Amino acid sequence: MLDLEYMWGLLPVLLRYLPLTLQMATIAMLFALVLACLLAVIRVSKVPFLNGLSLLFISFFRGTPLLVQLFLFYYGLPQLFSSLIAITGVAAAVLGLTLHFSAYMAESIRAAIVGIDRSQTEAALSIGMTQSQLMRRIILPQATRVATPTLMNYFIDMIKATSLAFTLGVTELMGATQKEASGSFLYLEAFLLVAVIYWVIVEMLSWGQRRLESYLNKAYQR
Amino acid sequence: MRLTRKLTITLATLSLSITSGVFAATTQADTLRVGMSGGYFPFTFVEQDELKGFEVDVMNAVGEITGDDIEFVTASFSGLAGMLESGRIDTIANQITITPEREAKYVFTEPYVYDGAQVVVKAGNDTIEGVEDLSGKSVAVNLGSNYEQLLREQPNADEIDIRTYESNIEQDVALGRVEAFVMDRVSATQVIKEKGLPLELAGQPFSTIQNALPFRDDEAGRAQRDRVGDALAELRESGELRKISEKWFDTDITQP
Repeated sequence: MLDLEYMWGLLPVLLRYLPLTLQMATIAMLFALVLACLLAVIRVSKVPFLNGLSLLFISFFRGTPLLVQLFLFYYGLPQLFSSLIAITGVAAAVLGLTLHFSAYMAESIRAAIVGIDRSQTEAALSIGMTQSQLMRRIILPQATRVATPTLMNYFIDMIKATSLAFTLGVTELMGATQKEASGSFLYLEAFLLVAVIYWVIVEMLSWGQRRLESYLNKAYQR
Repeated sequence: MRLTRKLTITLATLSLSITSGVFAATTQADTLRVGMSGGYFPFTFVEQDELKGFEVDVMNAVGEITGDDIEFVTASFSGLAGMLESGRIDTIANQITITPEREAKYVFTEPYVYDGAQVVVKAGNDTIEGVEDLSGKSVAVNLGSNYEQLLREQPNADEIDIRTYESNIEQDVALGRVEAFVMDRVSATQVIKEKGLPLELAGQPFSTIQNALPFRDDEAGRAQRDRVGDALAELRESGELRKISEKWFDTDITQP
């Protein structure tokens, strides 16, 4: 039934596109983390003006599909500012993934911060810590532990979302698979193979996540 | 502290490498950027990482005449129009059919592929040579296609026994359950070639659609259109266009 020889021959071809997929996801994840932390801290501390701006940002990037955002950056904005034509598909994809996922991640980081028990804040303030010391030394380390599983979830989602970059002319893992399948007509073989590749990558990440979580849990284990 | 510094350096390097990538793209004087899906066999498709197909051969032949470097850009079909409009590609070689809506927006070359409604019969069936011979015969068409409508517009429509199918019309004609089916000529040709079913085209198509290369409707776009259009005409005259068509389709799809 399955043309295993074809799949075996296709594997090295598809793996050539895996680094691009992982690079886009990793870079976008790092930028998104930084942005999300900023947004979350602004929201929690209710910084005037910036708080409203963050709300608007989160509302827009959670409220519209990622594909629409990518098309806006890549196809739409250059019509308004012609210099933006210089943005490549990869850069537009990284930008879109960063903004989109930072909006989601900001909310889960905010939830993690808010979820830390009030007694921690009171104890820290009572021994004379400043607001920023309180954040850095007491709240954020604990919030990190709480937020890690959901943030890893977003990273996994992001890896799979990179497949949308093919609509911007970026041939990544999924785009390469689609093109190969349409040439061979062996759809089952090609898509099964790429599914397994994504699955293995995500499994490896999940293993890393378990290690990270048990490290962060050290202080809580007896 | 050390971790923070490491992270800052990593981030700085990353943002540097991204910005350097951002400005690497776009126009050189005589590069023609041709968009295609890479997923439309046998017009444009990929095998073992190599882009091939009728459109690829045609555009490379055009480039040899005009002296342009042909740069192929693959993107999913839904992204191609946006790429053309935002100036990231200069034209689309993906069997774009000329329609009034598109003509209002783009400038087209002369058509280089003529596709159309085609009658297909079981191999060896000499009684049907075209749509006029379908009187009294059973003919399969796909539900949702416009071929049923096209058949009903024929003068002998009342005498044709039209059967509407959900799928597998090719298989049913090959089996002999119905005497003919109607679909577009180019894909019919491919089905015969690729699937190895005992079928053959009956005569010429009876209604045509015309496919051409669209360019942006501005000064540069019109200049490119004229240059590429002239090259296509030259390829047509020298017989090269026919040769490329016969290579992929065993038949000349470039003539009306």
